[in-house]
Amino acid sequence: MSSGDSVRASMLSPSRRDEVSGRVTEAASHTAERAWTIFSGTRFTGYWLVAPAVLFLAIWFLWPVLTMIHLSVSARSVDGVMVEGFTLDNYIRLFSSDLYVRILLRTIRIALLTSVIAALFAYPLAIAIARGGPALARLVTITILAPLLVNVVVRSYGWQTILNKTGALAWLLKLSGVTNPPVLLYTEWAVLIACVHVYLPFMVMPLASAIGRIDRAVEEAARVAGAPQLSVMLRVIFPLSLPGLAVGVSLVFSLSAAAYVTPQILGGNFSPLLGTLIEQQILTLNDWPFGAAISTLLIAMVLAANLVFLKVVNRRFARWTGDIR
Amino acid sequence: MNETVSTPLKIVVGIILLIVVAPLVVPLLMSISDTPYIVFPPKGFTLQWYGAVLANPEARGSFLFSLELAAIVTAVSLVLGVPCAAGLTRYRVVGQDVVLGLILSPLIVPLIVTGVALLQLFSMLGSRATMMQLVIGHTVVCLPYVIRSVSASFVLANRNLEDAAAVLGAAPHLVAIRVIWPQVRPGVLAGAVFSFIVSFDDYPISMWLADGNHFPVPLYLYTVIERSFDPSIAAIASLMIGFALLLVLVIEKVFGISLARLAS
Repeated sequence: MSSGDSVRASMLSPSRRDEVSGRVTEAASHTAERAWTIFSGTRFTGYWLVAPAVLFLAIWFLWPVLTMIHLSVSARSVDGVMVEGFTLDNYIRLFSSDLYVRILLRTIRIALLTSVIAALFAYPLAIAIARGGPALARLVTITILAPLLVNVVVRSYGWQTILNKTGALAWLLKLSGVTNPPVLLYTEWAVLIACVHVYLPFMVMPLASAIGRIDRAVEEAARVAGAPQLSVMLRVIFPLSLPGLAVGVSLVFSLSAAAYVTPQILGGNFSPLLGTLIEQQILTLNDWPFGAAISTLLIAMVLAANLVFLKVVNRRFARWTGDIR
Repeated sequence: MNETVSTPLKIVVGIILLIVVAPLVVPLLMSISDTPYIVFPPKGFTLQWYGAVLANPEARGSFLFSLELAAIVTAVSLVLGVPCAAGLTRYRVVGQDVVLGLILSPLIVPLIVTGVALLQLFSMLGSRATMMQLVIGHTVVCLPYVIRSVSASFVLANRNLEDAAAVLGAAPHLVAIRVIWPQVRPGVLAGAVFSFIVSFDDYPISMWLADGNHFPVPLYLYTVIERSFDPSIAAIASLMIGFALLLVLVIEKVFGISLARLAS
């Protein structure tokens, strides 16, 4: 029984109805009016309700993040001593050092590759969810989402047990006759594999809902008109799933660009990303302004990704499908 | 009937699902290995590593601390989030778009940045109250989930029922308890569950704010992975995976909440 039914049932039970109608005859207009005033509220009720959460986030989210961005241009660390005053030094240092540029490029590369590979894996899964029978859809959904409840440290560790020298993959490769199996642990590959695994659900779900929204008649029409399965996939389902893909890519890109735990556990000291760099600069080197600059860069990257993938793709999408809808 | 899902596609889906569960199954296999190091396939059979983990006071302490932290964070998020959702969906609030943007932005800004920014603010303020810092940090991230989930159920709730009850003379508190609450309860419950999970699993906020006396499970797991190599890590991982599967069952069967909301 849905909650709506229970409300209706309780409203229509005889005793309740008598009680209500009794009171209505006594002071109908007065009670109803009072109820209305309190529930529709005064002009300010909405503000009072929203204010605590908004204040909380303004103080504990907006303020610290803005302070951090401000710090990145208002101080620099010289031999461990903070020198105040407007400066672009931190950013110049970030973009002029080979080491930092390499980490930045690696971060972008991993985030992009993770998005692309996750999308390749996600399409079959999303089609199975959106177009498969209820049993298949449920099996795929649960299997994809259940890992989200497993801590990311544990999931990364799981990959460590597969990818290390005495791990499951090496064993499997030896069984199939590969004499000198490559050790992927502590390489960029390991980071990439685990990132795809950890962020895959964020690609599958928006894609599945986008594909689920595609009118089956459009697919049917293409098939009746003689399009082979592959053409239906590439020229009907793929273009119409683009809004879902855009959401998925912006989520996966943002999450993997800012990943810390997974690269730390699987990349070791050999392939740090920007997250690791922030941690080192602040906790190990105590260089707050430089850490703030890297953090600001990370925010900018994520915002840019959201803007590019969501806005641009959606505008294109509107043009492509203008004649269908 | 379902020609769209052809057999080759089903095979591909099967292979991908196998890869998805592999890192959750392999630690389980390795945790029973009777060797002082991690090896695949496992050799022998022992449950000694599980015994060692369960007897470890550090592991227990972290687990209990994380439960406590997640419970407090969820309570705070509900207290702040439910009224906010009601205000956003039921009343005219000037600047609603700005408010919504602020509320959802903790989901866009990288958590590791939110964490370090909070650490900077707290040290600027001279705060040493670690527990309060952790509660604040986690609430910043959990609050958006609660507000989004509760708002959705407020939007879905049928307002005619409220009007009808009010017109029929139900006092405002009765309308709230007997008409509005049953309709928004699923959203509140879902928000609470997600808030609990997000807090319990958080690493990138806690890594900045925690200290030795306030050490959540994810941080503890990380230090164990860094410093030891025997199968007891695999045993902890397996216990955490078992705990997660239990959560999946409880969420889907008992609460009837679709997990899909976690990833959208």
